[in-house]
Amino acid sequence: MRLAFILSEIGSGLRRNLSMVVSVILVTFVSLTFVGAAGMLQLQINQMKGYWYDKVQVAIFLCGDGSTAAGCATGTATPEQQENLRTLLESPAVAQYINDFQFESKDDAYKHFKEQFSNSPIVDSVTPDQLPASFRINMKDPEKYQIISETFSSQPGVETVIDQRQVLERLFSVMNAASLVAVIIAGVMIVCAILLIATTIRLSAFSRRRETGIMRLVGASKTVIQLPFILEGVIAAVIGAALASGTLWAVAHFFLGEYMSKQYPDTAFISPAQTLILAPALLGLGATLAGISSLLTLRRYLRV
Amino acid sequence: MIRFENVTKVYDQTARPALDSVNLEIDRGEFAFLVGASGSGKSTFLRLVLKEDRATSGAVYVAGQNVANISSWRVPRLRRGIGVVFQDFRLLPQKNVFANVAFAMQVIGKSRSIIRDTVPEVLKTVGLEGKEHRMPHELSGGEQQRVAIARAVVNRPGILLADEPTGNLDPTTSMGIMGVLDKINQNGTTVVMATHDDDIVNEMRKRVVELRNGIVIRDEARALYTSMMPVVGQSRRFKDASGRPDGSAADPGDGVASTQSGEEL
Repeated sequence: MRLAFILSEIGSGLRRNLSMVVSVILVTFVSLTFVGAAGMLQLQINQMKGYWYDKVQVAIFLCGDGSTAAGCATGTATPEQQENLRTLLESPAVAQYINDFQFESKDDAYKHFKEQFSNSPIVDSVTPDQLPASFRINMKDPEKYQIISETFSSQPGVETVIDQRQVLERLFSVMNAASLVAVIIAGVMIVCAILLIATTIRLSAFSRRRETGIMRLVGASKTVIQLPFILEGVIAAVIGAALASGTLWAVAHFFLGEYMSKQYPDTAFISPAQTLILAPALLGLGATLAGISSLLTLRRYLRV
Repeated sequence: MIRFENVTKVYDQTARPALDSVNLEIDRGEFAFLVGASGSGKSTFLRLVLKEDRATSGAVYVAGQNVANISSWRVPRLRRGIGVVFQDFRLLPQKNVFANVAFAMQVIGKSRSIIRDTVPEVLKTVGLEGKEHRMPHELSGGEQQRVAIARAVVNRPGILLADEPTGNLDPTTSMGIMGVLDKINQNGTTVVMATHDDDIVNEMRKRVVELRNGIVIRDEARALYTSMMPVVGQSRRFKDASGRPDGSAADPGDGVASTQSGEEL
């Protein structure tokens, strides 16, 4: 009975205050979309980093089947060439610059490739043979990349030496800046949303002051009096958060999935499913903000 | 049922207290009028009983419990035991008669079947049978007040507080409302009614507590609106036994006085 009563109170509150409720929905929608966009950029950065980015700085790719580099005259790197390279890496002249290194076989490379490009159609057309084996090196000082490069580029069986950081760092700094901007905009919008929710709840409490006055007099509990107002704000904010989550999913599905991944097939993009891990966070954030701001407003404007 | 022990209430430190060392006991099942001019402390008295305000000093006991010791979580429970009726009815305009009365039961979580059984019964007590589906604006003032009374007593409170319940009603309608309150009192509910309405007080012949400037200056059983006994130490305007101010009704020959009284009325 009490639940049905509270629900009907919420319904009537939402209907009476429809324009304010719609504005709360829209403001939370926009602000949480920005929050989600920042989250999505970070997910995308992680996706592009792949398996090795945070672990190593320099990769020595060994010759594969179709390699044309000078050191690959003999075709695919032989086990002896591999051993020579390993010995060289362990020699004191080189080892002083290195924390440690790992060997990535063709099969490992294929495994990591599949993980990184799981959302891309390219994964189906690649076989382990096409991927080069490599040594992945964790530098003591990433600035000493040149030394490694000079030492190994000319070794037999080495196709190329790459400083992965240099390739991706600039792109990542742009993306990080973009997510910072998104967070700042989101912050401003969230302040807007909180104030708007507070105003809406205040109006709602004012327009129902007769009811709440009578409820107080006949001894309704604080919960029964306040809950409809709080839930009103929370429901509006959760609808906004759901719209934001839907928008992020749509961006991942249609823009990244259908368009960008065809334009840039060699880049790993996040999948629509991955954006859904942001949804509970957005819903939780929306509900919490609305709940807290309604509660604070009611404490000031609704006597119980 | 209600006991005030040396209760003082000060709203504003600079002004005189709204209630000044009031000692008063109203027993279970009693019917008491609270009379006095505006600002004499009647409303403050009612607010203290409801714990809308806390006394500055002294203790207020309601149903044996010191309200100062009731935590804010328990206040709703206190208020469930007290019905309140106001001068301005305070009905919900978009709900019909039945829904207005049922509202008081819904918000404290009474089940639908109990509501369906109880509300018609209470409406019958206040004389509104067959008007369940009327909207408040379709009712006369007296009928609206009856709805308000029904709402106040539907949860069977032990105490009914009425703050000038007949203030907006004509004398005949007022007597009807008094009949309802009397009936509720006969059923065992303690009724405390703040009023200015001398005719009603004189008609009912119940206990009268008179307040002036926050002090109880008279507490008489089966009394009239104005005391026939002079109050020692108080300078007060003389009123005759009918409660009319200063002989205006008794002395039609005095043209000035009757004009003044005509304006007053």
